[in-house]
Amino acid sequence: MSVKIRFFARFRELFGADVMTDVVAGTMFTSLITMIAKKNPEGYAAIFDETGAFHEFVILMKNGKRIEIADAAKTPVVDGDEIAVFPPVAGG
Amino acid sequence: MFSERERERYKRQMMLFGDEGQERLKKAHIFVAGAGGLGSPVSLYLAVAGVGTITIVDMDVVDQTNLNRQILHFDRDIGRKKTTSAKEKLQEINPDITVNAIDVKIDEINAADLVGQADGIVDAMDNYPTRYLLNEVAIAKEIPFFHGGIHGFYGQATTIIPGTTPCLKCIFPKAPPKEVFPVVGVTPGIIGTVQANEVLKYLLGIGELLTGRLFIWDGMQAHAEEICVERNPACEACGGIAKKTTARKKK
Repeated sequence: MSVKIRFFARFRELFGADVMTDVVAGTMFTSLITMIAKKNPEGYAAIFDETGAFHEFVILMKNGKRIEIADAAKTPVVDGDEIAVFPPVAGG
Repeated sequence: MFSERERERYKRQMMLFGDEGQERLKKAHIFVAGAGGLGSPVSLYLAVAGVGTITIVDMDVVDQTNLNRQILHFDRDIGRKKTTSAKEKLQEINPDITVNAIDVKIDEINAADLVGQADGIVDAMDNYPTRYLLNEVAIAKEIPFFHGGIHGFYGQATTIIPGTTPCLKCIFPKAPPKEVFPVVGVTPGIIGTVQANEVLKYLLGIGELLTGRLFIWDGMQAHAEEICVERNPACEACGGIAKKTTARKKK
């Protein structure tokens, strides 16, 4: 099955705008993002801390609905999901 | 009532919203938090539109590194207080409005008093702790909070109506680390103009506000999109307040 991951702002600079990827059924949200992020060490460090947990400021969405970081590890992705990963933009 | 000069000045926009709309702008008081990259275009456009009272707050002096984006400040202003420079430019561009420029750091003690009786708060800050503070003031005073943020060629904006839309804490519960962010002047130009446009629509009671939607601008791709955002019932800032049915400034 196939899902689309969309990155925004600084994450987009590191990963590109959209990543389409094939995943096996039952893959969880956190595992999917971890798998993608590990291909880019700088990008991985931007999204995850040294323990492998999401930085607490990272915003995760699935099909336009917020996924809490605490729930991401137990939230499965399904075919056709559109996932958004972005940091708050802080400058002014 | 308007002077002849005001009627001439606002003639082309009064074609859009008439005497009544212009009167609304004239009676309005908007609080602009920050006289930097976002605060510059926001305050300039609110000033030329004829928003009657603008309070602009900043604690910094103009630095040469500001000048690629902070278009309120000129080369000759380096070393001057941003508030002094801002007041001078805003009064020059429109002598028919009142500009209060306050040179202070916004903190927990003074924030509510600084905002005073303003009809709305424009977020032109460069850090989340102060944004969260102003978000709470907006909730307490039941006035809108016009959020904007930028990084490089990227920007975001949303209009927060306490009790109706998600607040800043609902959307961004945790602050990102503070950083010296890269930026090119056009990005705050675009986002600040979106914020000013929201303020005007809110004051005039026209159009569709950027409520419940996070506007995201990617200048590298020249692509704008939006993400739906929802209230968090457990939000520590606004979770306790009841849902309202109106998102408009009362006539």
